[in-house]
Amino acid sequence: MLSRLIVISANSLKGCGPLGAGLVHASRSLHTSPQSLAPLPPLPETGGKVRHGIFPEELFQLLYPKTGVTGPYMLGTGLLVYMLSKEIYVINHETFAAASIGAVIIYGVKKFGPSVASLADKINEEKMAKAQEVKDLAISSLTEAIEDEKKEQCRNNVAMLLETNYRERLHMVTNEVKRRLDYQIALQNLHHRLEQEHMVNWVEKSVIGSITPQQEKESIAKCITDLKALAKATQARAAV
Amino acid sequence: MTLSLFDQFMSPTLLGIPLLALALTLPWVLMFKPGPRWAVNRLSTLQALFIKWFTKEIFQPMSLGGHKWAVLLTALVLFLITLNMLGLLPYTFTPTTQLSMNMAFAVPLWLATVIIGMRNQPNHSLAHLLPEGTPNLLIPILIMIETISLFIRPVALGVRLTANLTAGHLLIQLIATAAYVLFPIMPTVALLTSILLFLLTLLEVAVAMIQAYVFVLLLSLYLQENV
Repeated sequence: MLSRLIVISANSLKGCGPLGAGLVHASRSLHTSPQSLAPLPPLPETGGKVRHGIFPEELFQLLYPKTGVTGPYMLGTGLLVYMLSKEIYVINHETFAAASIGAVIIYGVKKFGPSVASLADKINEEKMAKAQEVKDLAISSLTEAIEDEKKEQCRNNVAMLLETNYRERLHMVTNEVKRRLDYQIALQNLHHRLEQEHMVNWVEKSVIGSITPQQEKESIAKCITDLKALAKATQARAAV
Repeated sequence: MTLSLFDQFMSPTLLGIPLLALALTLPWVLMFKPGPRWAVNRLSTLQALFIKWFTKEIFQPMSLGGHKWAVLLTALVLFLITLNMLGLLPYTFTPTTQLSMNMAFAVPLWLATVIIGMRNQPNHSLAHLLPEGTPNLLIPILIMIETISLFIRPVALGVRLTANLTAGHLLIQLIATAAYVLFPIMPTVALLTSILLFLLTLLEVAVAMIQAYVFVLLLSLYLQENV
């Protein structure tokens, strides 16, 4: 039964001193739970519950179903009376010494217990608060960095939109100006061509108008004589 | 089981098996080791607090060469305090009541300080044997006296611890015996004796802590002289 107690309490004794490491390995050999050394299981926040300072609450819970609330007290009294009456425990001077040191311990714990415990708790709280502060600072600085990055991205997008818009409008402006200038050039060309045609027409008309009918007849007669002469020459060449 | 007054000082055995090793290693089991945890636990916090306070107290006035002794002296004070306090419980054996053990702590550590002093700064440590400003006639006598005082240091250290603890334990036993014997005869006197016993126990608790502290403090002072 004692070995069972040791095995059960091995889990809770893990933290205490050099026995702890040995107990971890010893309890591992029983394959009761998938125990691993990392990540470490969390330490209990407070010690086990005790009644009257020494007796663990588990004893009272153990005996409650069979013997009710007064069970453990009857057990304690019975044991004590048995040991005294059978002289298993003999009352001697050590008993008085034990009573005296017991009184000193109880007085010390009752008087200085809460203040010492609050001191230890305060130190632990400070340690935790410092670590928490570091963590919070890290988290807040990282969140700020994320926000800054987002703003940077926004700004980039907006800048790009503005740039694109500007370029579009510039393009439109250029096109419009070009169209206006092209129109002017076409207009000038047209003007030039019209003038030229008009001049040519006018010259032709004036030339044709200056030809009199007498001149026409003379030119036609000359043409006929020329033709005859040419025919004669060709005939002569053909006969040769 | 009848107890004589001196049974508590006998080396404990169980069926012929000496339990002294168990008594000596009990303080080791009761101390928390740092381990892989941050150790957020009331007891470990208090223990760490004590160790930090003690190391600061002893080693602040010491030059850097003596800081090598920090682990040894802090461990020694924890050991001695635990042994002394555990010995106040009834039916326990206190190893520090044995002169052999206390001398085993005092002589080697004191000798180490002396040898360190002689090796590193022989002139300075020899000069300790003669206080400043002594008239010339007294020099030989004074040197002899200082040498004797130097050699009596380990004896003083060991015997101081032994005597204080043994005397305290014996007193507790005697007064408890008186209360026990008087209890059926004159209960009132027994009550007074019990009150005396309570006060004595308070004193013994203080003595247990102080003696361990003084032991280590004196060793650190010897070290400070010589390092």
